[in-house]
Amino acid sequence: MRLYVHAISSYRSDREILNIKKELKQKSKMDLRRKEEFIYAGLFGALRLQENCEIQRESELYLTSGFGNINILAKMNEYIVEKQEYIKLFDFINMLGNTTNFYVASELGIKGKSIFEISDNFMYFHTLISIYASILKNNNEVIIGAIDLASHNPEVMKRVGGVDESVNVVSSVMYQKVSFEAKNALCSLEFDSRFYTKSEIESLIENENREVIFSTRCDNKNNEYFETFASYVVNDMILKAKNCLYIECYENKYKILKITPL
Amino acid sequence: MANILKTSILSSLGDLNSSLEAIKKSQTGISTRAIRAIEGDVEMPYYTLAKSVEDTQEGIYPELKKVVAELLSGVSQEDKKQTIIIIGTSIIDWHVIDAIESSNYKYKRKVYASQKRSIDSYAKDLSDEFELNGFTLTINTACTSSVNAILEASNLIDAGIYKYGIVLGLEIYSQMMSSGFYAMQLLSQTTIKPFDIKRGGTILGEAVAGVLLGDDKSQWQIKGGSSNCNGVSITAVSRDGDEFVEMMHNALKTSKTSVEEITAIKAHATGTDSNDISEINAISKVFDKSVVFTALKPYVGHTVGACGALEIALFMACIDDGFLPKTLNHADPILKDYQPILENKECTHGTFMLNFFGFGGNNTSLILKKEFS
Repeated sequence: MRLYVHAISSYRSDREILNIKKELKQKSKMDLRRKEEFIYAGLFGALRLQENCEIQRESELYLTSGFGNINILAKMNEYIVEKQEYIKLFDFINMLGNTTNFYVASELGIKGKSIFEISDNFMYFHTLISIYASILKNNNEVIIGAIDLASHNPEVMKRVGGVDESVNVVSSVMYQKVSFEAKNALCSLEFDSRFYTKSEIESLIENENREVIFSTRCDNKNNEYFETFASYVVNDMILKAKNCLYIECYENKYKILKITPL
Repeated sequence: MANILKTSILSSLGDLNSSLEAIKKSQTGISTRAIRAIEGDVEMPYYTLAKSVEDTQEGIYPELKKVVAELLSGVSQEDKKQTIIIIGTSIIDWHVIDAIESSNYKYKRKVYASQKRSIDSYAKDLSDEFELNGFTLTINTACTSSVNAILEASNLIDAGIYKYGIVLGLEIYSQMMSSGFYAMQLLSQTTIKPFDIKRGGTILGEAVAGVLLGDDKSQWQIKGGSSNCNGVSITAVSRDGDEFVEMMHNALKTSKTSVEEITAIKAHATGTDSNDISEINAISKVFDKSVVFTALKPYVGHTVGACGALEIALFMACIDDGFLPKTLNHADPILKDYQPILENKECTHGTFMLNFFGFGGNNTSLILKKEFS
């Protein structure tokens, strides 16, 4: 399976010090009241993407995240369980996964399919496979947004991510516009539906002349943690114009993504 | 296009057979639950599962497992390796809540676990336990979650990437979700009255519903469908229903189906002011007065993320039994000449439109066909 990337936008909290809400106030006409950080992050990345490309009305929007909006769940849990209070209207709306989709789609002028999805393993790969099947069916371009917002208490994200307590939790918002169209593309992404074994991966690496990058879960040397790391690597390789073999692993299963800037 | 091979459900009316029998007798699964409101806990109508399921990871998983086991009966070990799972739900992620409580409240502290968990862990654990392919996703698009999951699974099968897809719709009572619906003033204190001028809101319900998709021969075919993100606000489309009209036309177009070919519509029909006025206006713009339509929520409640898989399974069961189920609790139509069916109607086959609309402007229309046999 192959998809072509036509535009990207990137944000990582450890690489760029920004007040996202303030940036949004300058760039967006949207009423930002009664929304919260996760939505702001999604909107910010989308607006950055829009600066780089034209987006069609019938485009499809797939937003993915390691865990969704952790901070709003913490707030709701405090209301209901700890304080024995009721849920406030806008907290409830902001808690729903696809609320961010609605605002992002509105900002980008998208009226096509809009999906908020999470996978427990190989999230970015499973999203790419779904998108490939959707483009095959509908022939629309797709906007992928991968949003991880660091939890206010970093321990929450480390716990639910099942990662080492010593890692640094990072917020990351990465977008790509993808399609089957090779013309004028920034990069191609090649992937398949199968899982690889460790020995297959070792053999692949031996014969590979591209740079090999492992996910945070495979490589203990990487001390920054966010679940949508694959999406970051795609954008980073495009910006650096470097070929790369990206490898992700979960529970002794592996997947590979060939990133080829064009 | 992918076919629907098998369904399995647990609703407030029981399993699929019990639910079908109850619908034939116009019985509903309505009971009550306490819902957290500004004025304190309020006892409200609620469609609770016949057998109580606790809204925890431990409570939910066994119910999903039963549904998956039933769907997989007869599927070979080899084919299981080509079977994916996609869950559609809007339930709270208890894995995250666990991590929040362990991290933020010392008195709830648990041992640090080194395994990733998420809302998709149910799908991942089921995939591991039944030795399936390993491809899992959990989709949250509010009331369209599980019908969108069906469309996504169908795409993956049609693309030849996987052979079978299990789609699970899941909704279990939670204080957070029900309190949110109450805060939005969407809940009825009596019954769901679809498309009735005296409708007073919806009533939430619980369900675990599963659908097995594949390209094996089946009487039930997914002819096509369409999903869009189009609303005038986060909670509603316009009252004239034009966003629904566009989506229904798209569904007809993608499935190469004409308006005249539609035997009947399964409406979303939540019984809320805004949904029902938009939906009936949309139906009247796409179909003429002869259109046959009905609603299932008065029987089983509004099961939010699960309503796609649940209502598809119930609708199919009724047609397989030879009838279109009547709409309960309807007396005076919002729109003259557009009234849902008020008596069960004989129907053994045909082409059907099943509509699902949700928060966040998510609207989905599915076209199903059952061959004459």
